[in-house]
Amino acid sequence: MQLFKTVNSLMVAAVVVMTMAASTVSVFAQSMLEEVVQRGTLRVGMSTFVPWAMRDKKGDLIGFEIDVAKKIAKDMGVEIEFVPTAWSGIIPALLAKKFDIIIGGLSVTPERNLTVNFTIPYAHSGQQMAANTALTKDLKSLDAFDDVNVAFACRRGSVSCDVIQKKFPKATLRQFDDDAQAFQEVVNGNAHAMVSSAPKPRFWSDAYPDKVYVANDGKNLTQGDEAFGLRKGDLDSLNFFSNWILVNTSNGWLGETHDYWFKDQSAWKDMVAPE
Amino acid sequence: MDRASPPAPAKKRLTGLDFVLFGGVAALILYSAYRINDVLVYRWDWSRVLSFVVLHDEATGTYAANLLLHGLATTLRLAVWATILASIIGIVMGYWRTCENLTARIISRGYVELIRNLPPLVFIFIFYFFVSSQIFPALGVDDISRDNWVVNTTAFRVMFGDPQLLSNFLAGVLCLALFEAAYVTEIVRAGIQSVGKGQWEGARAIGLSRINVLRDVILPQAVRKILPPLAGQFITLIKDSAIVSLISVQELTFLATEVAATTTKVFETWILVGAMYFVLCYSFALFFSRLERRAAKSRR
Repeated sequence: MQLFKTVNSLMVAAVVVMTMAASTVSVFAQSMLEEVVQRGTLRVGMSTFVPWAMRDKKGDLIGFEIDVAKKIAKDMGVEIEFVPTAWSGIIPALLAKKFDIIIGGLSVTPERNLTVNFTIPYAHSGQQMAANTALTKDLKSLDAFDDVNVAFACRRGSVSCDVIQKKFPKATLRQFDDDAQAFQEVVNGNAHAMVSSAPKPRFWSDAYPDKVYVANDGKNLTQGDEAFGLRKGDLDSLNFFSNWILVNTSNGWLGETHDYWFKDQSAWKDMVAPE
Repeated sequence: MDRASPPAPAKKRLTGLDFVLFGGVAALILYSAYRINDVLVYRWDWSRVLSFVVLHDEATGTYAANLLLHGLATTLRLAVWATILASIIGIVMGYWRTCENLTARIISRGYVELIRNLPPLVFIFIFYFFVSSQIFPALGVDDISRDNWVVNTTAFRVMFGDPQLLSNFLAGVLCLALFEAAYVTEIVRAGIQSVGKGQWEGARAIGLSRINVLRDVILPQAVRKILPPLAGQFITLIKDSAIVSLISVQELTFLATEVAATTTKVFETWILVGAMYFVLCYSFALFFSRLERRAAKSRR
């Protein structure tokens, strides 16, 4: 974790210095908003994460976030272009102008906020914990999981890892490149529990009802705030996207769309399953 | 040929001992495959992952390439362009390593040592963000219009893939080529130096220029010697191309992580992708061994 953080901050620092060097040339830089309208496409950085963004049978992107981004582009009158990006490098890629905005279920943290700007939140998902039934039958309360002999799995660079470290500082942390692997470790009994953004732990646990359960009586461990991430120093764009979220929260569109993807898998299961 | 007597012909017939050995290995594999289901609590389901290779459209009855095949195509493109670029850089740098000019020697040595002593991951991260934030904007790669008459053609798509992802793809090629070229450089240098000094002196003595000596005397001999290690390096390059998935080049490994995340069928995805890499690398290995045999035949 520490090493990753160091590498990550080094990368961010390198990018910041380079982009600063580049941007000093043009003092009167356009806002990203104007650039997008001029170009006619909004480029959105995202990463596959069920049910935020995933692939349907044809390999096309679907999910909550994809719907959100498509609606923004429609409201702006521009085309949409998704840039699938490796999660651990998504902030450096934003700073390096690989895309205009991160719409990727990015949780707001003060630490991240030092390098990127956040809009107001467009979703509140929080973290959920799945635990191996057989391994943890003696662990009656959540506090009992805070033990050196308990192994947790999580996706590297995600908020989930921070949550584990904060809530269960004594437990052993094992990090994986994606949370499907982290979950598989729990099913196999190599880790006691894993933490990931809701509702994935619940969806997965439903597939192995006799092996895995959602800890904390099915409730989320924490309440999270997910927001769009933008480059620093562009208040015009920040204002636009924040107000887009405000309007679509008030008129209920965001809530409805969120429910469609997050409540259960029945509405869209057919789109991703082969038959 | 001034070789001593040829080696004894290889044994063609399998003895009883060989069959026992083969049987033992096969039993071990079968046993571990059987054990996997004991250790792993896992529902195997290949259909979802396979449908990401080739999609069968039941409505029209047609088959279409899906994500993983697209990824394989991108990996192949990456490998081809990076191999070409790495060969060019490697030959120039390798020549410079053996050059009389001190500046050329310092540059090439510095390049090789810098790259060889950095982990590929670190190099690719630093280089990628440097290239993509400094060099590409300066060259105007990001501003190339997608409706440009050069870009918007089938030939371009076959060679470079989706124009939308062009700058990302080029960054991947450049990273990979620069990284592998350092090793190619050393192979080329070893090849040139393996040709006896007397040949240089002899060729120079009959009045050939340095370039002519290199082209007509040294390189033909060097190439035959370096072909096997070079082939190995190029196959390594194909395998190393997986690391550019970190900078989000949409190649096989990157798309496989997407498929694994979507389907949650982690093992099926990676076993399948492993098989795809194997087929790709092994066919290159066969191709190179044919080249080697042809080079060996042309030996005078």
